[in-house]
Amino acid sequence: MKKFLALLLAGVMAFSLAACGGSGSGGSSSGGTDETGGAAPAADVAEPGTINVCIASEPDTIDPALNSAVDGATLLIHMFSGLAKWAQDPSGALEIVPDCAEELVEGVENEDGTVTYTYTLREGLTWSDGEPLTAGDFVFAWNRAAGPELAADYGYMFEIVDGYAEMWETDDSGENFVNPDAVLNVEAPDDRTIVVTIENAVPYWNELLAFPTYFPVREDVVANEAWATDPSTYVCNGAYTMASWDHNSLITLEKNESYYDAANVTMDTINFYLSDDSNNMLTNYENGDWQFIDDIPTNEMARVQEQYPDEYVVGGQMGTYYVIWNTATDILPANSGLTGAEAEHAREEIRNAISLLFDRNYIVEEIGQAGQVPASSFVALGLLDANGIDQFYENAGHNDGFVGYYDTSEEAMQSNFDAAIETLSQYYTYDEASGQFTDFPMTLTYLYNTSEGHQAIGEYLQAALAGVGINMQLENQEWATFLNTRKEGNYDIARNGWLGDYNDPISFLDMWTTNSGNNDAQFGRGDHASVQAYSMDLTPYGYDINVENGTWAETYDVLISTIKSCTDNDTRYELMHIAEDLLMQTGCICPLYYYTDPYMINSSVQGFFASPLGYKYFMYCTIA
Amino acid sequence: MNGKTALYIVKRLILAAVTVWIVITITFFVMRAVPGGPFMGERAISAAAQAQLEAKYGLDKPLLTQYFTYLKDIFLHFDFGPSLKQRGRDVIGIIADGMRTSVKLGVIAAFISLGVGVVLGSVAALRRNKFIDRVIMVITTAFVSMPSFIMGSLLLVLFALKLGWVPANGTTAAGMILPIITLALYPMAYITRLTRSSMLDVLGQDYIRTARAKGVSKWKIIFGHALKNSLIPVITYFGPMLAYIVTGSLVVEKIFAVPGIGRAFVNSITGRDYPLIMGTTIILATLIVIMNLVSDILYKLVDPRITFD
Repeated sequence: MKKFLALLLAGVMAFSLAACGGSGSGGSSSGGTDETGGAAPAADVAEPGTINVCIASEPDTIDPALNSAVDGATLLIHMFSGLAKWAQDPSGALEIVPDCAEELVEGVENEDGTVTYTYTLREGLTWSDGEPLTAGDFVFAWNRAAGPELAADYGYMFEIVDGYAEMWETDDSGENFVNPDAVLNVEAPDDRTIVVTIENAVPYWNELLAFPTYFPVREDVVANEAWATDPSTYVCNGAYTMASWDHNSLITLEKNESYYDAANVTMDTINFYLSDDSNNMLTNYENGDWQFIDDIPTNEMARVQEQYPDEYVVGGQMGTYYVIWNTATDILPANSGLTGAEAEHAREEIRNAISLLFDRNYIVEEIGQAGQVPASSFVALGLLDANGIDQFYENAGHNDGFVGYYDTSEEAMQSNFDAAIETLSQYYTYDEASGQFTDFPMTLTYLYNTSEGHQAIGEYLQAALAGVGINMQLENQEWATFLNTRKEGNYDIARNGWLGDYNDPISFLDMWTTNSGNNDAQFGRGDHASVQAYSMDLTPYGYDINVENGTWAETYDVLISTIKSCTDNDTRYELMHIAEDLLMQTGCICPLYYYTDPYMINSSVQGFFASPLGYKYFMYCTIA
Repeated sequence: MNGKTALYIVKRLILAAVTVWIVITITFFVMRAVPGGPFMGERAISAAAQAQLEAKYGLDKPLLTQYFTYLKDIFLHFDFGPSLKQRGRDVIGIIADGMRTSVKLGVIAAFISLGVGVVLGSVAALRRNKFIDRVIMVITTAFVSMPSFIMGSLLLVLFALKLGWVPANGTTAAGMILPIITLALYPMAYITRLTRSSMLDVLGQDYIRTARAKGVSKWKIIFGHALKNSLIPVITYFGPMLAYIVTGSLVVEKIFAVPGIGRAFVNSITGRDYPLIMGTTIILATLIVIMNLVSDILYKLVDPRITFD
């Protein structure tokens, strides 16, 4: 037993020494995947043909059809090439240009209003394993991404393609498909020709062609369900190939010399580090190991802006942070005596008045601190209007002297507040002396998903309402529970946010139809289904539709389907403005700010750009 | 090992299996009772698509059927199923990836803490109330009371940012130094204090005095008699500590961006990735149960007075 003890002690010592040696010597135990980030402490030591970036943590998937995340899309645009792509012209402006297609042709309108496009692929395109890329690969990939078998999050990106509706047609139970053999109306008459027919002309069609869900994949490659999880089976056709993937650590892309445009790709190697901690990202950025990070800790925001004014960039993002009311939340005084449409109009007035109590400038400057823009409409900053130049939100609302549905300027705060008090005084008793409403009928519960930022905003909203005597308590839930609660409509008022899928306002508007899975406000459901409070007149636009006091289904749902089948661009945008008017009239949507995408990029990096959807392009970067 | 010991181990193994089975059962049903699901996201998919996916992964069957299928798959085929979130990846692969890192970090950190802790604790006890003892006690008190997120952040700022000696990213060999130190500091400090007090206790025992009186050399007393007996509480602590430390620390993994199992576990719960939740829970539970058992057996080996009755 004596020996046992001595042995144990000796063993312990030996172990710790070995351990120290192993970890300190930069040994081979890490798998040797990192050539540049390991010992090289600063950017000036990194090789010029290599860039180290961090956009997010491990992507759930990098299968083009399955991905629905912005960080996954950034990886995909480097490794895949669709018919079209985003590019930067010499002036720095972004445009959609042909990629695999020789040119982005004009569509030919058919008699039934559908539009057919015939694309020709460039000559000699190949996959990263040397196999030729054919038109049939696109046909296969599109049907795979759109169809029920894969049931991908972004399958609906093919909604505009003829045949999609048949694919997804179900019986009355809503769970059994009527046409199991249906396919999209897209064909490959030969190896270089793709003929696709869409339901009606839409201005964002070319943008869809540049969207990752529309990228090609090869049938024999994806037959292996795990193909997109391992570099050895990841066959792609873009500017880069995946050299290695250390799960949760690092994805390394190497330039694909067989890419048709390889001559213009300047960055040889891109290391995508995978991290979900913004503090860790910032440390890696500040010590020079990484040249780009896409997330900055909120509490460091002010310091970073001051310390790195040239490297801190506020990119655009098409999204809105807003507060949502459940239509079922009854905030009318018990003795109001109002019913039906009158009651609904009263609720609308109250909700819209409460929305005016919030100081959006305070929220973005003191809480958000990332260059967010106070919002006065739901369709976000960045989405363009009919002419492709004006911002849609600048033409929203019908008020003079300000943009949107209410004035968000600091000067207007007092008049907004006064107007809100005046409106609310019609319904509740206002005590002038204390400046409080004394009989607001309920204590509201504000639901948000657990996060410091959302909590800070919730606390501000709570304080703003408490200032006028309206009690609101805060309730936070973990993300998945929160999503469930909100979708089920088990809340009074909740935090919400929406990012557009493509640069068309319809991506913000079609989510509010009665049966949409994203209709968290529960429009047209429950008691709201029978509320006849909405009117619209589409006769000036050539439609025989004029509804006075209709239900949500009779107005908004009809309007959205009209927009979706509308082929005249100007009319379509007019109709979308009407849809947003209807939406904002309800007061259920209370926009707070338009999202921005702050990131940091080392000043030695040239040639970087980001698409309007927030995808980051590193392929044309050089490091000075 | 005598028959009694063997019987004891067999009994404990059966008990361990039962414990793990109870953990599986509770986790399985509690997890499914929690609102939300794996196919729910900010962007809702259609009811038809949802039904399609549920059918694909067998989530449309009655819960009890799913439970028995699951038990059959893991016990008969050792099949933990596919991840529902990271489509195309198997649960076992994800766990193996995470465990590789966590075990490496954890084992190194555990043995460093044991080695350094025992030495420092012995030194402190032998130099009781001297300067070196005071210094060791002050430092270990600080390490024991400082939470790892503060210690980790301090180390990160100092060594990765200000001095630039090591990378801030825990994916490389050099990047693992800081997380290992962060993981090791608390148990090291704890073991130091444990060793010190237990050694002091032992040094005051009659048999040590007898040995001294008989003229046994000082070092022989320390290494031959005192240290061995004073390690008993350390061993009891070490087993569960090792299990705890290799099953990943979310805090340390986050601060240093270490690709360990802790993060996979937490993400699986947030994403309602049922098979991954089950897989990680089972592996972690098994590890803890086994380490407790090993620690009990070691206990007996060091102290023959302990019986397994």
